[in-house]
Amino acid sequence: MNWKAILRHETILAILVVLALVVLAAQSDRFFTPENLLNQGRLMTEVGLVAIIMTFVIATGGIDLSVGSILGLVAILIGVFWQNLGLPLEAAIGLGLVVGTLAGLFNGFIITRFGVPPLIATLATLALYRGLAEGISEARSVRGYPDWFYVLGQGQVLGVPTQLWILGLVAILAAIVLGLTSWGRATYAIGSNETAARFSGIRVDRVKMAIYAASGFAASLAAVIFVSRVSTTRSDMGTGLELDAITAVVLGGTSIFGGRGTIIGTVLGLIMVQALKNGLSLAGVRGDGTIVLIGAVLILTILISNLFHRDGNR
Amino acid sequence: MTAEAQTLGRREQSWFGRLFAGYGQEIIILGAILLLFVVVWSINPRFISPNNLNTIFSGNAYIAVAAIGMSMVIITGNIDVSVGALIGVLATIAGTIAVSGYPVWVAWTAPILIGIAVNFLVGVLVAYARIPSIVVTLGMLSILRGGLISVTGGAWISNLPPEFLLAQQRPLGIPAPIYFMVGLTILAAFWMRYSAFGRSIYAVGGNPEAARAAGIPIERRIVQVFMIHGAFAGLATILFATQLQVIQSTVPPNLELTVITASVIGGVSILGGSGTVIGSTLAAILFAAIGSALIFVGISAYWLRAVIGLLILATVLADMARRRQAK
Amino acid sequence: MMKLAIATLTSLALTTSLVQAQQVYTGGDDLPTNPLACDGTPGTATPMDYDGGTPTNAPDRAGQTLTVVDVPKLVGIGYFAATTQGIMEAAAELNMNATTDGPTRANIDDQITLIDNYITSGVDGILFAANDPVAIAPVLRRALEAGINVVGYDANSEPDARQWFVNQAEFNGIGKAMIDQLAAEIGEDGAFAIVTSTFTTPNQARWISEMAAYQAECYPNMRWLETVEAQEDNILSFNQANTLINKYGDELDGIAGMTSVATPAAADAVTQAGQCGNIAVVGLATPNAMRPYIEADCVKSAVLWNPIDLGYAAAYVLRAAADGTLNPGDTSVEAGRLGELQVINGSEVLLGAPFVFTADNIADFDF
Repeated sequence: MNWKAILRHETILAILVVLALVVLAAQSDRFFTPENLLNQGRLMTEVGLVAIIMTFVIATGGIDLSVGSILGLVAILIGVFWQNLGLPLEAAIGLGLVVGTLAGLFNGFIITRFGVPPLIATLATLALYRGLAEGISEARSVRGYPDWFYVLGQGQVLGVPTQLWILGLVAILAAIVLGLTSWGRATYAIGSNETAARFSGIRVDRVKMAIYAASGFAASLAAVIFVSRVSTTRSDMGTGLELDAITAVVLGGTSIFGGRGTIIGTVLGLIMVQALKNGLSLAGVRGDGTIVLIGAVLILTILISNLFHRDGNR
Repeated sequence: MTAEAQTLGRREQSWFGRLFAGYGQEIIILGAILLLFVVVWSINPRFISPNNLNTIFSGNAYIAVAAIGMSMVIITGNIDVSVGALIGVLATIAGTIAVSGYPVWVAWTAPILIGIAVNFLVGVLVAYARIPSIVVTLGMLSILRGGLISVTGGAWISNLPPEFLLAQQRPLGIPAPIYFMVGLTILAAFWMRYSAFGRSIYAVGGNPEAARAAGIPIERRIVQVFMIHGAFAGLATILFATQLQVIQSTVPPNLELTVITASVIGGVSILGGSGTVIGSTLAAILFAAIGSALIFVGISAYWLRAVIGLLILATVLADMARRRQAK
Repeated sequence: MMKLAIATLTSLALTTSLVQAQQVYTGGDDLPTNPLACDGTPGTATPMDYDGGTPTNAPDRAGQTLTVVDVPKLVGIGYFAATTQGIMEAAAELNMNATTDGPTRANIDDQITLIDNYITSGVDGILFAANDPVAIAPVLRRALEAGINVVGYDANSEPDARQWFVNQAEFNGIGKAMIDQLAAEIGEDGAFAIVTSTFTTPNQARWISEMAAYQAECYPNMRWLETVEAQEDNILSFNQANTLINKYGDELDGIAGMTSVATPAAADAVTQAGQCGNIAVVGLATPNAMRPYIEADCVKSAVLWNPIDLGYAAAYVLRAAADGTLNPGDTSVEAGRLGELQVINGSEVLLGAPFVFTADNIADFDF
């Protein structure tokens, strides 16, 4: 029992993360400095927000490929609401968050109501939402936001990048919900055996709808922060975000078949990827070499973890 | 045994019914293609000129060929998100061999063999090391994409020998990729439906426990399917790399998603166990036809992807409706 | 319910299509244009004050070995492999250690992250080609604040986010060269279509706008049929060009390719359709990619600056900025084998007029 707890995936991953941090710190004295580490937090917030909620999605045995497109759509809408409709920026952001959440809810709706497998449903909306972003924007960027808006993406609060507070808050909330509440237990139950979950009185469809809506909300929140960080909107924002988020989640030990996964694991996965990207770059490895290594680390980590769990959740 | 075999056994009405049994999604897509042709033809008759038909049918041939292997992988209940990066790597290898003075058949067989070898590794990691296929192939995607740039430094390959350019051949006036696409699709469809090996693929994806009980070596079968998928990726590469006189060291963005979309829109169940490769090929043709139609009708390219997204969604919902009625 | 949903989706798709069918997409942006005179009289350049940025507390780098990173839009494209080559050539002459490290997809976020890492690693200079002029600006300003010399090339950022920008050719110069070349091949009343990359690439949108403005002024009888998008995807470019040929038939006299990916693909489409001589292809392209078509006499010319020279000049400008030999207010800069380059628009260094490759001179180039 204890033995098994020690060899949990998260423990193995934590050891690997510490190992990576030590090795990378030895490679460059600019790596393990507070400024650099905080700055990395700034860069990983968007993927982090999406990955944390993606943990829920994958734990139910689902997947959400449309998050990058929702990010792009919401980014464009914030700009359009603010500039073309003349709404106050606060209202534009609020509306953007609402639309993004609705986009997620729509995913959940076609998945639960029509029984479309999540991969197909979100593959279709991946094209649809990106297409809407392109169509609505007509390739125009919206720039020149008021200064207060940039605090979110480029500013600091108490010496820590603003968005890192948001990421931390969302991570803690998500960890509590997944680990300690009936919603979390329902999430795991659906992922382990959906039929059994249904029979044991869990309102499967409602839980799933809520999770996909939350995923849409996380992607829209990431959109707001991203726009604030880069100070412009483009319809191709967030392209490929889904694969980065999924990488962090599965690296964190969430089973792609559902039923297993923790927020701590996902956060460790995020840290691992970001530390490798940054540390290897500081150590003089080029970007293409870095992504080769990230790919290898992903496969090897799961391989090592599987060696300790011969029952193997395939 | 499989859902499809059951459907086949149950319906014994007309020869017509027998012929099309189990091909519901394929018929929907075929209908969509025909509808599109009729509508666009009525707006601009040049849409169905022989030249444009050649463009439509050969345009996505490499995607259709890659989707054959992808469909088999998905039918076993797995997935491969690295196929786009793999095609990029194989194209560069084929081009390098072709300009190094080796005979062209070496340049043509190398991508197939290397595709098999790479996916043998993927298959072993999935089947024996029990790492989920999406994890292995996500890792593979990074490794191949990064490795390609590391090795080539981004340089393109030009000065390809003319005899290497297989996809530019036009026997009987029809572009070679069409022969490849049609031939390989029919071959794979028959093989999957009538050979013992082909049917066992459905069993592995549909009900692994029953398959094991029936004596099918599941692990070995998964590795074999990944290797076949690698061979199809190699074949797709040949079409991709020989279409133009230059080989880029990047592949179309999101190529893997396009291939997966073709497979699932074509009716391959992502849960494994059912679907055919005819549907995925039709879906690849449908994408090419939509792209062409949008230009012919003169729809602002800004909305192209939104229209495609809506059509994909409509197709998927139509499929779900059909499945419910079948129940 | 299900049927309702399907019907709604399909009709939505159709309505969008029909509404959109009314508008013709040009692919240009809506910034003001500044077409050159039809006879080629150089435009009157209004002198501008320096509008670039200045690194904060930059150390004295004169004569020192510089560590420089070059961050192109993306790696894996022949064009940027050529600019890298030029940077490396200059680095060897200038006592610089240069590395090229770019994103593997033309993604604004990846590029920003890379630059951020290099700021932390403490490089002396950054060369960049921006995927988005505004999105890249915050991170470049951080670089300037960290005392790093920042010089752009190929694709600009907001001026105050970098010191200098090496401009390969002015937008209106490209517009004129492209349209003049088209007019020479398809006649002043010919009809043409454009294959571009994506709507979101600022350079292409700018060039198209300048082409439209110049054409309206100098060749009012030319007809612009349509612009299609083809990503940075050569097979899609090929398919799109083919579709244009099939759609317009004899009506189509020429295709203009706006990227080094689209132009050779369009040339291949014309070749394989057996339309050499009937449909002209002009466009931006590297000579190596265009050699087969120009040698086969299917394509008469390709327009481009020399990307090797562009990288080379960018490295020289960075060195001059770091050494303090190029300062705000200067009107020219010395750039090795390229000689003196002019400063225009306040803080841009002009490489020269766009170059037209033809069968006569293409053998002299290898990139």
